[in-house]
Amino acid sequence: MIQAIAFYLFATLVLASGVLTIVARNPVHSVLWLILAFFNGAGLMLLVGAEFLAFLLIIVYVGAVAVLFLFVVMMLNIDFAELRAGFVKNFPLGIAIALVLLAELVLGVGAYRAGALDLGTADGMAAPLAGESNIENIGALLYGRYLFLFESAGIILLVAMVGAIVLTHRGTRSPRGQQNIARQIARKPSEATVNTKPEIGQGVEL
Amino acid sequence: MTQTFMNWGMTHEWAWFTATIAGILLIALPLMLAVAMIIYADRKIWAAMALRRGPNVVGPFGLLQSFADGLKVFLQETIVPSASNKGLFLIAPIITFTVALAAWAVIPFNSGAVLSDINVGLLYILAISSLGVYGVVVSGWASNSKYPFFSAMRAAAQMISYEVSIGFILICVVLWAGTFNMNGIIEAQRGHGFGIVNGFFFNLLLFPMWVMFLISSLAETARAPFDLTEAESELVAGYQTEYSSMSFALFWLGEYANVLLMCALNAILFFGGWLPPLNIDLIPWFDVPGWIWLFAKILFFFFVFSWIKATVPRFRYDQLMRLGWKVFLPLSLAFVVIVSGYLMFTRYG
Amino acid sequence: MDFSHSLSLILPEIVLSVAGLVLLLVAAWGGDKTSRAITIASCVVLAACFAIVAPSVCAAAMGPDTVAFGGQFTADAFAGIAKLMIFAAAGAALVIAPAFFGRYGIMRAEYPVLILFSTLGMAIMVSATDLMTLYIGLELQSLAAYVLASFLRTDDRSAEAGLKYFVLGALASGILLFGMSLVYGFTGTTDFGGIRAALSGGMATGALFGIVFVLAGLAFKISAVPFHMWTPDVYEGAPTPVTAFFASAPKVAAIALTARVALDAFGAQAGAWQQVVIFAALASIVVGALGAIGQANVKRLLAYSSINNVGFILIGLATGTAEGVSAMLVYLAIYVAMTVGSFVAVLMLRNAEGEALEAISDMAGLSRTKPLLALCLAMLMFSLAGIPPLFGFWGKFVVFQAAVQADMVALAAIGIAASVIGAFYYIKIVKIMYFDEPANVVQGRSDWAHWALLAISTAAMSPLGYLLTPWLGELADGAAAALFLAA
Repeated sequence: MIQAIAFYLFATLVLASGVLTIVARNPVHSVLWLILAFFNGAGLMLLVGAEFLAFLLIIVYVGAVAVLFLFVVMMLNIDFAELRAGFVKNFPLGIAIALVLLAELVLGVGAYRAGALDLGTADGMAAPLAGESNIENIGALLYGRYLFLFESAGIILLVAMVGAIVLTHRGTRSPRGQQNIARQIARKPSEATVNTKPEIGQGVEL
Repeated sequence: MTQTFMNWGMTHEWAWFTATIAGILLIALPLMLAVAMIIYADRKIWAAMALRRGPNVVGPFGLLQSFADGLKVFLQETIVPSASNKGLFLIAPIITFTVALAAWAVIPFNSGAVLSDINVGLLYILAISSLGVYGVVVSGWASNSKYPFFSAMRAAAQMISYEVSIGFILICVVLWAGTFNMNGIIEAQRGHGFGIVNGFFFNLLLFPMWVMFLISSLAETARAPFDLTEAESELVAGYQTEYSSMSFALFWLGEYANVLLMCALNAILFFGGWLPPLNIDLIPWFDVPGWIWLFAKILFFFFVFSWIKATVPRFRYDQLMRLGWKVFLPLSLAFVVIVSGYLMFTRYG
Repeated sequence: MDFSHSLSLILPEIVLSVAGLVLLLVAAWGGDKTSRAITIASCVVLAACFAIVAPSVCAAAMGPDTVAFGGQFTADAFAGIAKLMIFAAAGAALVIAPAFFGRYGIMRAEYPVLILFSTLGMAIMVSATDLMTLYIGLELQSLAAYVLASFLRTDDRSAEAGLKYFVLGALASGILLFGMSLVYGFTGTTDFGGIRAALSGGMATGALFGIVFVLAGLAFKISAVPFHMWTPDVYEGAPTPVTAFFASAPKVAAIALTARVALDAFGAQAGAWQQVVIFAALASIVVGALGAIGQANVKRLLAYSSINNVGFILIGLATGTAEGVSAMLVYLAIYVAMTVGSFVAVLMLRNAEGEALEAISDMAGLSRTKPLLALCLAMLMFSLAGIPPLFGFWGKFVVFQAAVQADMVALAAIGIAASVIGAFYYIKIVKIMYFDEPANVVQGRSDWAHWALLAISTAAMSPLGYLLTPWLGELADGAAAALFLAA
């Protein structure tokens, strides 16, 4: 019973916050609704027993990706009137895409009701290994069967990082000058301070 | 606890529900009390290091100072700036506070004494603590004021930066313990040092990770010397500038609850949590309860936090970022490789 | 699973990625002054990969021995021949780069590294026999390509090209992913063989949608009409060596990938995709030919030319027969040589200050100021137009022959008619070079590497190229047989 309540709670919230993400006028609100949608999506994952994926979703998407989204959106100065003007112009296109997606959805539901699919169990390798948590299952798959894809995906991320640096990094020196931390730490008080006993009226020679 | 309530004639669902509520109250209320006292302790320690007296007027030795402060903010009028985004302005402190409390659900106080003994406890902590940044960012933006906004930007960048290396540090611990479950991690530390000392800190490969974790936890909770989000000389009071009354108090409580959480994590992940420090039965006829050991360790780390706050000058922001991205990230990454390689050869090889 | 066998099959990919990582470190520590050394090292790596792949192509490797990682990756002769073309084209893009970037200040050391990673992505693409491998290869190639397109940061057009390419590329990836999720949902597997088996009995409407979406996403990557709009802008804005790269290597990879997806994964439902491919082929030929006519910028013109050529290549695929695929591969090989040659020639069009000239009007009377360059360019243009004595004709010939053999006479007829329109603008360039008053702006000396590449590709396009036909035909037949063995 409690699972059913939780499911309907999460599902309703996912849908509602998904809709609000789109219709919210303020882009910051949109991002926040999106975060709520992620959060409830993670809740749904928990309900189907994928706790590892649920927490990864929160850590990666809510904890890092969405924060950066929010960062960017907050710093943008968005002209809402202009956005709405574009909205009217692109409305027919949007409707067309929405209709296509709706057709897809209907088809998907239809196919689902036509009978259950045996997803990924053709050779039994994707079936959960008995008696292990899904962290261990995912680890075994990622570093076993999908090793090649996993490592290739790593290279994709590396390329994205290299690309971002190549396009934005200017080789200029910092306006504060270069700070050599090791040298600062290695400095001793005796090198930096001098004990003098100035004569009256003589001043100090540095 | 569910069993107890079922013995009182409740159905299983209701007993579970009541037990959970009772468990939450059992953790949250003492935590709030602890936060009040810890604020007092913080001020006292800080004052002692500055050769001052600290709070000493309200109650004996000023013990009731925090309650007087609490009463004061409670009775104040809540001021919402007219140009602010009102809904988000009020939600932000609630997010900070709730998130700070929610993380305690998986903290074990003794063998089995944990509200929710899930097998991905550490991931839960990471997930929840990564949410903490939203309270700060949202409050900074919703205030519609320059200083809070700068502070929010700083806080977001800082927390994300240090979460990355914290994540890698935790992975090292998890690799060694072989589980994400908090109690499992504690049990794995039993007799870790030559069968005598309980705790991962007594491990040549994990000790440097603990040092990094301690520093990162200072940065993650924006405590001195990394308190750039509320650096008073630059940003007035940071993201709390526009807040007053209860909304301000919620930030305050949330922050200190987070500090306590980080102290608890230091104790649990590296110092054996509720295990006694030594794995020797010194007094055969009497066992000190586990939760006392845990509290003692938390208090010790809180003292370390206050000590650092009182003695170390504040970092500059670029130095903070440099430390996070150029020192801790490569180091912790290297240690993930070293630790997993070592375990592969010795344990699984 | 036998990892050692799998790892031996992905040896070229391992070499590429390790070399890329090592050279990236060299670039990070050595700075831009190491870029020439890194470029040379990258060329050596590509040559090594070429040598590793070549035996499998000559031996027409096929069958279960070529399957790695439980069906996610296949290193058969079809993938091999595509990889050979990709490695060659990537090598060309490296060779021509230093002289070009040298004029804009020093060349960035990341350029060869990104080319290597992009090549790695393409190698994964052409070997993909799983939707996930497909997507990962495609993204690896595309991400590196987005960065390369905007590599000249100081140039607004380059930045615009990169941004446009990225936004539209991301959209295409989205469409592709959506299609892949539908295909997965309706067949229950991401493995190409599994998809074919699941589709062989009949197909749900949703799976049809999936196929169409997957093909639409791939059509974007090969810039087939109606997903071609980005091509002229990106080709014009990107630095010319990068454009040469875009027009050659990723085209080969995406077309080989499309062929494998269509014939292997969706092989059981040929009727479903054939109409789509026929439409894209005809539309590309017509739009490419008509769009090129009004262009004043030679890079835009070559962009439309590549759209036009993709149409002809897709005719080979549309037949859905082994002969068609073989013809497609032959055409691809010829196309790569022609395109690289044309872009090298464009690179050599420079004024006295060494600035790049891109307007067609600047080429007026080139035959009198730079007779050798004009001759090479004229040969390449005639070859692109498919005028008989030149090798470009052979490619069109085998494709149309395959179409006629597959009873697609109408398709072949429309294609031939459209290629006549296409010939117009190629010949227009020749006319401008040989019969217009000299504009006398093309000055200066060109890099020896440019001359060498131009000489090679012109020699290949000259009637001498026909000496290659038996050899090329044999390799292409072997590769096509490898693809159809799986299907």
